[in-house]
Amino acid sequence: MSAAPATGSLRPSGELLGRMQRIQRTLNAVRTGRRAILSIGAAFVTLILVRGGLASTNAGSAWWLLAAAALLAGGAVWWGIRPSPRDLARTALWVEEYRAEQSGGAPDFALTTAVELLGARSELPASLEQAAARTLEVARVDGALAAERRRAWQWPVVFVLCCVLLVLFDVTRASNARFESAVATGGGTAHSSGTAPAPVTLGTWRVRVQPPAYAALPVQSFGDVSSVTALSGSIVTVSGEGGVPTVQVAAVDSATAGRSRATVTAVGDDWRASVVATTSAQTARLQRGGRTRLLIIEGRADSVPRVSLEAPARDSVFREPTGVLPLSATAADDIGLTRAHFELIVTSGEGERFTVRTVLLGEQRWNADAGSRVARLRGRLDLAALQLQAGDVVHLRAVARDGHPGAEREFGSSETRAFRIARPSEYDSVAVEPAPPPEVDKSLLSQRMLLLLTEKLDKAQRRLARAEVLRESQKLARDQARLRLAVGDVVFQRLSGESAAEHAHTAGDGHDHGVDVQGGKLSLSTSSTTGMLEEGNDSPVIAINQPLLEAYNAMWDAGRALEQGDPHGAIPPMKRALEAIERSRAASRLYLRGKPPQVIVDIAKVRLTGKDTGQVTTRSVRTAVPHRVAERDARLVRAAVLASVNADAARDSVALLRVEALLDAPSFAAALGAVLAGLERGGDVTMPFVQARRVLGNVVRARSTSWSRGVSP
Amino acid sequence: MNGIGFGIGSAVAPFVFATAQYESGDWDSAPLVPANIIDSVARYTSLPVRPQGVTVPLSSEAVFQYPLLYLTGHLPVRFTSRESEVLRKYLDRGGLLFVDDHNHDVDGAFNKTAREEIRRVAGPLQPLPNSHELYRCFFVFENGPPTTSHEMNGWGDNLVHENLDAVVRDGRIRVLYSNKDYSSEWSFHPDNKRFLSVDNTRFGVNLVVYALTR
Repeated sequence: MSAAPATGSLRPSGELLGRMQRIQRTLNAVRTGRRAILSIGAAFVTLILVRGGLASTNAGSAWWLLAAAALLAGGAVWWGIRPSPRDLARTALWVEEYRAEQSGGAPDFALTTAVELLGARSELPASLEQAAARTLEVARVDGALAAERRRAWQWPVVFVLCCVLLVLFDVTRASNARFESAVATGGGTAHSSGTAPAPVTLGTWRVRVQPPAYAALPVQSFGDVSSVTALSGSIVTVSGEGGVPTVQVAAVDSATAGRSRATVTAVGDDWRASVVATTSAQTARLQRGGRTRLLIIEGRADSVPRVSLEAPARDSVFREPTGVLPLSATAADDIGLTRAHFELIVTSGEGERFTVRTVLLGEQRWNADAGSRVARLRGRLDLAALQLQAGDVVHLRAVARDGHPGAEREFGSSETRAFRIARPSEYDSVAVEPAPPPEVDKSLLSQRMLLLLTEKLDKAQRRLARAEVLRESQKLARDQARLRLAVGDVVFQRLSGESAAEHAHTAGDGHDHGVDVQGGKLSLSTSSTTGMLEEGNDSPVIAINQPLLEAYNAMWDAGRALEQGDPHGAIPPMKRALEAIERSRAASRLYLRGKPPQVIVDIAKVRLTGKDTGQVTTRSVRTAVPHRVAERDARLVRAAVLASVNADAARDSVALLRVEALLDAPSFAAALGAVLAGLERGGDVTMPFVQARRVLGNVVRARSTSWSRGVSP
Repeated sequence: MNGIGFGIGSAVAPFVFATAQYESGDWDSAPLVPANIIDSVARYTSLPVRPQGVTVPLSSEAVFQYPLLYLTGHLPVRFTSRESEVLRKYLDRGGLLFVDDHNHDVDGAFNKTAREEIRRVAGPLQPLPNSHELYRCFFVFENGPPTTSHEMNGWGDNLVHENLDAVVRDGRIRVLYSNKDYSSEWSFHPDNKRFLSVDNTRFGVNLVVYALTR
């Protein structure tokens, strides 16, 4: 768009006409350019306004809507300000006006007249042609055209540039906000409910998971996924097209927080990054061109084999070290078992001298490639072959190993069973010889039977006359009283360490046992001063069997209710008594080796009598552990808000939250999985978010009743 | 008061020495240790302390009431799954488990099995530096853990163990493991302390103070 040269010798009238036509085209081009610039500016303004409007109404950011609005506005401006084309006469007038401005005189219109005559194809007088040529030569049209162009384009161009800068700023800010939200929540990108996922700037990627060699598992390939589960030690390879992004790998677990940069290689037009999966979740954050995308790698540890010892089922005491025990165990592993056996630790000795030996039995091996995930282990334990002596203890368990090659690899083991060979001098009620059940067991049976009878009477009392209920209830009360006294004897025997022999004690017999009888119930004496266990003294009351004491007192309550003909009111204390007796039975098994000596220190006597002096120390304050549920709730709410404006970011935030919750809150993680599925599908994700929040808050919704008009969400 | 900064008041619950009772092994092999430590705590500090220790099943969440758990024995230690679970929770909640090998034998059944169980529950044991604050939080033990007569007389594994082992997390001891056989050293009636020129249970006071203040 350049004007014809305005200098040089004058030519014939045809050349004059040609030069004027070039000036005309240049002037028209300047006006067309201004029109185009203004249209572009209008398109940008519309783009900014529509984008802002959509953001404020949380309506998402559909790119096609923005483009259509911008095109429409630009087209409207293009159409609305179309100028009428400048003809040759107006062009000549423009030249003459410009010359007059320069010279300060009035225009002579010679050029205009000459152009009009040439346009009418008339002959030009020579004087007129010379005057027109002189006007054109003196006018310096080039400068005039440049000034005209500057005047027409300058401000529209500035306006358009401002619009472009504004759009760029808006785009950069959105990108930064997306990145910052990802960092703040441990998340990354986003997409919105009700709209399709936004196009991914980094392009789609492919993910390949190669499990470690020892696992002998197949390689898995995935498309454009946002998270993958991988066995620890697997190589996760992400590949895509285009420029090489940066990849930062970080552990999700805050205890192992830290970031490292993964190596990304370019292969032709593609790029490829590899990350080694660990036992916990990691994030691979890919960045390119100011855009970020997140791939969550859910590392899964190779679990230790689970072993269960089925036979023998319980601990035992043998009088003689003879016989054969069948051994049976099951082992299971997520990858594959390689080896399993029974392990026996035989401990001999007593006091301070013990010897120990380890024996392995029934070893089985499997080929790692075969991937035997479940196995049954069988064996026979010949006690005689172990050459056990009296007092020896055998600890038996089943052990299984998987194919993990780690030097410090843990192995799986079952619960341990213990066998003891009884010493000749000891009497063991758990030995082979049949014996009557101990007093507590008898009490348990009787209490259970009494409870059943009372419940039966409670159910039947509506059908019975009051007198009959009272009679039956008082009969039960007498049985309950007898049982209570029997339990009371057991409590006291345990206190004194004596059997019911010639010098049997009872509570309230005048001796200081540390037990008071208050309204029929037993309670620890507050006035007892017997502290030390000394030769010839009674045992201190602190050694009382607490569960049996509870049972005794609960039986007292039950008996009183039954005495008053209230079987319904007797049931709760009877249940308490039964439960206490069961606890006592469980506890008494732990005291087979006998009760350890009890020493009660006289604190007041020894307080600060030590010869040495320590130094004063201050208590260090431990930092409060942040409330995990509250923190997760806040993050969930942020993700829900984010989902309405940027679903990609919400998806990544939710995915991170899910992997963090996998270990300690699996139900919440499952609920977040539903949220993720909803976000992937698009559409309304309100309900999954609501459900996840309820699971997090442990909210249980009651079922809607029949009269409810609506269905509660 | 020449002890740590707790007043004796009704609002302060007294310290209770708890012995862990586990299914396998002889958990009650050192029955006089609790009384001895309790006696020392009363003798040297103004800490409110209950005059008698308690025995708590390791499978019971009652262990959460006690900041310090003492575990010892000669026989193999095999925690049940319930015991492992409770112990893991106990340590996560800030409890301190003190394990002492009553066998004083690194090749003994207790040492091997207890270390294995601790590794599974709390992580691997590492030597505790003798400059650790455990050795300075009440009495000062310049050379680290005090030796025992069993070590000096060459009994058991015939070793003088320079360090105790520990599982430390966030700068705090979760599990303290001793091969020095304090269970034998401290298992005597506290009345007999009058025959000792130097009270050999003072380190127990440091244990209690550490458990209560760190």
